[in-house]
Amino acid sequence: MKFRYAMVCSSNQNRSMEAHCLLKKQGFHVSSYGTGTHVKLPGPSLREPNVYDFGTPYKLMFDDLRRKDPDLYKRNGILPMLKRNLSVKLAPQRWQDNAADGYFDIVFTFEEKVFDMVLEDLHNRDQVLLKSVLVINLEVKDNHEEAAVGARLAFDLCEQIEAVESWEDSIDDILTSFENKHRRKLMYSISFY
Amino acid sequence: MVGIMNPVSREKLASLSNSVKFATDLGPKLELCRQLKRDLLEEDAAALSEFLSHIFDLYSDPSGPVRKLATEIIGEIGVKHLEFVPEIAPFLITVLEDATPAVARQSISCSIDLFRHTLEKTAIQGLHSSELDSDLESSWSWMLKLKEKIYSIAFQPGSGGVKLVALKFVEAVILLYTPNPNGSSEPPPNEGTPIEFNISWLHGRHPFLNVGDLSIEASQRLVLLLDQLRFPTVKSLTTSVIVVLINSLSAIAKKRPAYYGRILPVLLSLDPPSFVIKEVHVYGANNALKNALLSCLQCSHPSAAPWRDRLLGALKDMEAGGLAEVALNQVHKVNGSVEDEKDHSSVIKEEKPMTKACDAAGSNVGRKRSGTEDSSGLAETGDVSGKRVRSTPSVSEESTKELNRNTSMSQGDISSAQSTTRKVDVDTGPVQQLVAMFGALVAQGEKAVGSLGILISSISADLLAEVVMANMRNLPPTHSHTDADDELLEDMCIVGSNTQAKYPPSFLVDVVSLSSTFPPIAALLNSQQSVPNEIVKTEVGEEVDVMAGPNSTVAYAGMAHEAENALLPGMEKIDVPTPSDIQDVGNLESGIPGLDSSFHYDGLSDAQAASSLVSTDLEDTSQEQGTSFGGKSPLHVLPSISIERSEELSPKAAVNDSSGVVSSTATSVVSSHPFVLPKMSAPVVNLSDDQKDDVQKLAYIRIIEAYKQIAVAGGSQVRSSLLAYLGVELPSELDLHKLLRDHILSDYINHEGHELTLRVLYRLFGEAEEESDFFSCTTAASAYETFLLAVAETLRDTFPPSDKSLSKLLGEAPCLPKSVLNLLECLCSPGISEKAEESQSGDRVTQGLSTVWSLILLRPPIRDVCLKIALQSAVHHLEEVRMKAIRLVANKLYPLPSISQQIEDFAREMLLSAVNIDAAEITDAEGLIIESHKQDSELEKPSHEHQSVSSTGKDISAIFHQSETSQSGSSPSVPEAQRCMSLYFALCTKKHSLFGQIFIVYSSASKAVKQAIHRHIPILVRTMGLSSDLLEIISDPPTGSENLLMQVLQTLTEGTVPSAELIFTIKKLFDSKLKDVEILVPVLPFLPGDEVLLLFPYLVNLPLDKFQAALTRLLQGSSQSGPVLSPAEVLIAIHGIDPERDGIPLKKVTDACNACFEQRHIFTQQILAKVLNQLVEQIPLPLLFMRTVLQAIGAFPGLVGFIMEILSRLVSKQIWKYPKLWVGFLKCAFLTKPQSFSVLLQLPPPQLENALNRTAALKAPLVAHASQENIRTSLPRSVLAVLGLSPESQPSSQVQTSQAHTGDTNNSEKDAVAEISKESSGAS
Repeated sequence: MKFRYAMVCSSNQNRSMEAHCLLKKQGFHVSSYGTGTHVKLPGPSLREPNVYDFGTPYKLMFDDLRRKDPDLYKRNGILPMLKRNLSVKLAPQRWQDNAADGYFDIVFTFEEKVFDMVLEDLHNRDQVLLKSVLVINLEVKDNHEEAAVGARLAFDLCEQIEAVESWEDSIDDILTSFENKHRRKLMYSISFY
Repeated sequence: MVGIMNPVSREKLASLSNSVKFATDLGPKLELCRQLKRDLLEEDAAALSEFLSHIFDLYSDPSGPVRKLATEIIGEIGVKHLEFVPEIAPFLITVLEDATPAVARQSISCSIDLFRHTLEKTAIQGLHSSELDSDLESSWSWMLKLKEKIYSIAFQPGSGGVKLVALKFVEAVILLYTPNPNGSSEPPPNEGTPIEFNISWLHGRHPFLNVGDLSIEASQRLVLLLDQLRFPTVKSLTTSVIVVLINSLSAIAKKRPAYYGRILPVLLSLDPPSFVIKEVHVYGANNALKNALLSCLQCSHPSAAPWRDRLLGALKDMEAGGLAEVALNQVHKVNGSVEDEKDHSSVIKEEKPMTKACDAAGSNVGRKRSGTEDSSGLAETGDVSGKRVRSTPSVSEESTKELNRNTSMSQGDISSAQSTTRKVDVDTGPVQQLVAMFGALVAQGEKAVGSLGILISSISADLLAEVVMANMRNLPPTHSHTDADDELLEDMCIVGSNTQAKYPPSFLVDVVSLSSTFPPIAALLNSQQSVPNEIVKTEVGEEVDVMAGPNSTVAYAGMAHEAENALLPGMEKIDVPTPSDIQDVGNLESGIPGLDSSFHYDGLSDAQAASSLVSTDLEDTSQEQGTSFGGKSPLHVLPSISIERSEELSPKAAVNDSSGVVSSTATSVVSSHPFVLPKMSAPVVNLSDDQKDDVQKLAYIRIIEAYKQIAVAGGSQVRSSLLAYLGVELPSELDLHKLLRDHILSDYINHEGHELTLRVLYRLFGEAEEESDFFSCTTAASAYETFLLAVAETLRDTFPPSDKSLSKLLGEAPCLPKSVLNLLECLCSPGISEKAEESQSGDRVTQGLSTVWSLILLRPPIRDVCLKIALQSAVHHLEEVRMKAIRLVANKLYPLPSISQQIEDFAREMLLSAVNIDAAEITDAEGLIIESHKQDSELEKPSHEHQSVSSTGKDISAIFHQSETSQSGSSPSVPEAQRCMSLYFALCTKKHSLFGQIFIVYSSASKAVKQAIHRHIPILVRTMGLSSDLLEIISDPPTGSENLLMQVLQTLTEGTVPSAELIFTIKKLFDSKLKDVEILVPVLPFLPGDEVLLLFPYLVNLPLDKFQAALTRLLQGSSQSGPVLSPAEVLIAIHGIDPERDGIPLKKVTDACNACFEQRHIFTQQILAKVLNQLVEQIPLPLLFMRTVLQAIGAFPGLVGFIMEILSRLVSKQIWKYPKLWVGFLKCAFLTKPQSFSVLLQLPPPQLENALNRTAALKAPLVAHASQENIRTSLPRSVLAVLGLSPESQPSSQVQTSQAHTGDTNNSEKDAVAEISKESSGAS
């Protein structure tokens, strides 16, 4: 695997982790991040979400929610999701704080807002390396089912990107064929480290 | 420079580089390279200089990754030891040509680092001394060469990954060559401090780096970059290049605002859809452009300001208006400069056409209308509240448009301005915009007075009030009371209501003097600006929410009004305080009596009750106003306007009760002006969260309560929307859902429960489906589920089964979660879960099933699930439930082509399961241990799956199968078999070809199953009637299904005449496959007589009971054609059977005879006589003839005379020649003595002698009889001799001759006699 991938959504829980999990299994060099200020998980009601800081281990959230209301969180799929996540990595990470993680070649975002935030963050960094980074937005609705679909699509796209020698030369073709195949609209941008 | 290299490390490095060179596998090679890099970077310059060539050698490696890594190593060495640049730069230049793009890119990456460091070093050294050392100078010149080379790549036509990086390089150089306005303009005091290089350090005192030249070069390069994005060059670029260009340029614009004016025109003139030829990723480029423009918009540098309007316009075209607004807000916060404000107004000028264009289609008319209403109704106080209420569910998406509208007023276009302000009201967005605008205008001082006046005059009173409100909130408490309010207080009464009534042109002139009174407001505005917008927004937002609560409403409305008044006194002073004007106001108020009175009578406490009054009153008053204002208001020049206005107001009458609350409170506040002011600080009571919750909850309860009385007033459409909105929108832990639910359920019908529920559901559903974040989706989905389930359960439990509400609700709800389907399932299959143990009546089942039916019809996506429910119910253990479900499935669902296959599969599955379970049971019963039984059931399952076609069928059958096997201890009962099979039978009536399966199954089925099948058949077959499908099945029944076939045939022929085809089929079957004559029995009555006679031997061969049945049928015949055979024909046919020839045991034949004799009412004396008469004529005589004669005598003693006749005919036929019959004859003669004596005496003497010898008991009576005188004389001598009555008789010789004559058959005769006697004894 030539490239380093990052999967980014807002809370680094559902969509990015689904994709992270899948790509990791497939042997990709992948990380995942969230762009939000906090990690928000559904709570008993709309006004009482469970809010954690980035860096709080998934295990801790898992235990916390299981203590609070095992039935509710099991039913809405949060506990299974956390369980999956804690098998992938320790804790949710924030995109804006990932400078130490090195540079990525390909960044996937799953929401336009996140896409914009990632780009803005990249533009605000000192672009001294002149190392190009491809940021692709694949719009995925934030629920369990769609996340699974989105992860598979992301995987598909990653495979195609891996297959070419340098994405800079063929990205338009890859994305066009992907769009035609899956009937999904993509958006991409190129930034630099 | 050449130092002494540490021999050890030198060795090590050499060997490393060698092993790199000779390593063959890429993986280890790269690893070695990295190792080498680490080691090299630790070396000092001296060692490196020696070693550099080795690394250059590495570049000759054939594999790309190695070359790339070598380049990277060299680049890093260069950065660390700039003295190597003269060597490294040429190397990098060659690498730029590398065939592998990644390597070439790496070269550029290295170059920029190297370039930056070299430049920095050159610059700093030049600052400190006028002479540069020659090494550095040559380094620098090499770097310039490298730069030129990369430039050429960046600007050459074509595309590719290398170009992308080269472009980025250009950007970096431009940034390096131009002064950074935000950076420090002095170099760091000591070298090595990590501070970004800034070209402005040079200050023009560098030996050869000339700031001016550099910036000229930068600007030339910029032009080249820009040219690429210009038409038509742009057309030849790929999207990725365009994206990079846009990003680079926007970065330059942001970091070097001096170039703003050059970059932006190009960016703004870009139109992605037009330049991307291939139509691919237009949105990619579009998005990049959007982001670029947005980031430019945020730039706070003065030179960026003039572009803001155009940026906004372009962004709006890209539908990024919302973001633009945010950006603009930030801008306003930052810059309150004069220049800025001017720009702003020009922004508006440009945008106006656009907004108009997009609004023109839909909302223009409406807006105009409301605008006219505004202009006329502004003076009237009630209107304020009315308007506010209308806009409570605020239209936030319009905020951007409103921004335009609001600001467009500054053009002095009053009429159009008014038409646009109408909707603004409570909406917080525009208010903030306006506040910012005021702030900006005020900050300009005198210059802006004109536009300020225009602005104020063109804003509606409400909006103005809101603006002031927004400010009040942030007012320092002392400030508000010192100058502003005291001053305002004096004018309060005048201000009351007439300010907004008109906007006299003179006002514009007078506005100049505003400047004197304005400072206080300016101060307020300024103070507000320091507060972040968000806070204000949210607070206002909450305020709006709370409005429903009576308490806060008072405060709010009061404040609003206050504010409106407060803002205007300054202007009032100059303009309006003339007595005539005040009177005018008075007139206006008296002109709307209805409104007035209602407001004054209904106090605050009575708000709910008032609501309905208000709404109706409003209608009246609005019309009155329409007329009264029409003449008065100077703005009402066009008569058509007033008409429009009254039209507009009538829908307004339907506003909800909260409007009533607000309006009444508003007026009451107005009426008590002097007391209002102190309250200004009162609203700032900080409620705790709990208190807020309580207030909200109470408010909501009140609203709900009010709804209970609302039915009278009508307009429930709007009302229930509102109620649903409130219930969902307010924070969910207040559990308002529950309140709402209780309201709905307390009287589902009268409260329009269905409509209301649907509204709530749709709202929740929308929220769950919305593209929002994860947790709100999930929460809303579960709220949705809870709500729907609760309503559905209540409907089920409280309404009679015949009620259709539940069905309607489930049919129209946006989606049905699993739990609701479970509920339905329990309804359809009572007892399926332990919870639903309460005894449900059958009606409930009907209700559930009909709901399921309608769901199947109405909701294709969940059709499978619903079908599953129905099918499950169709194999329910309670017959009542089952029959209902079966009726639904077979009659209603099965005819639907889309699901018929599924139903069929399921039914077949169940049918087979009944049979298969059975098989398992049998093995069980045979004494196998339980373990093996388990294995059995496990084995069985896969076979099930093979058979099943549809998944649904499979699922359910699997479920059932398990339940079967688990509960099986006893063998399956008939009811159990029926449970599984009923559905299939029902389907058979719809599709006759299915019936064949039953035949197949039948042979392997157990007794119980067979029994169940037999029970069903009559009804089934009768319903089906004879169809071609059925005929086909009959024509080829599988072996083992004969019994079934028989039953089918019987049913088919019962009471009706079978069709010719049926008879033909059966006959054919009999002839070809099934030799069993039994199958013909049902149709016997309909066969022609001669055919039946042919079949007769077979019939006789049947078991006795069946023969008897067949006999009955034959004799009865069909109702149309009468009996097939007469009893006589039957008997004759029986006698016609030859046991040997036909292969039928004699016993069967005699049995058949006996059967006939048993039915004496049919086989009467006459018939027997007739039969005997005919039989006796046959030659040869039938074997059983004498037996029959004997039986006839036994049965009908009256026949004796007739029999004698027969006997004498037999004598004449020489009966003694038939040995078997002869025995019978003698027996008969013996039985019928003395009548038979005359017949006996007719025998020739030898036969007579034989007879007397055989039956000795006959002799004496016969002799006695013959001895009678008259008889004796008539007898011939020979006879007398036999009898021993003649003197010369020689009885012995005669006997001998007769014996000789008959001797050969003696034995067989004996046999026959024995047989006959045996038979007759058995028969009689």
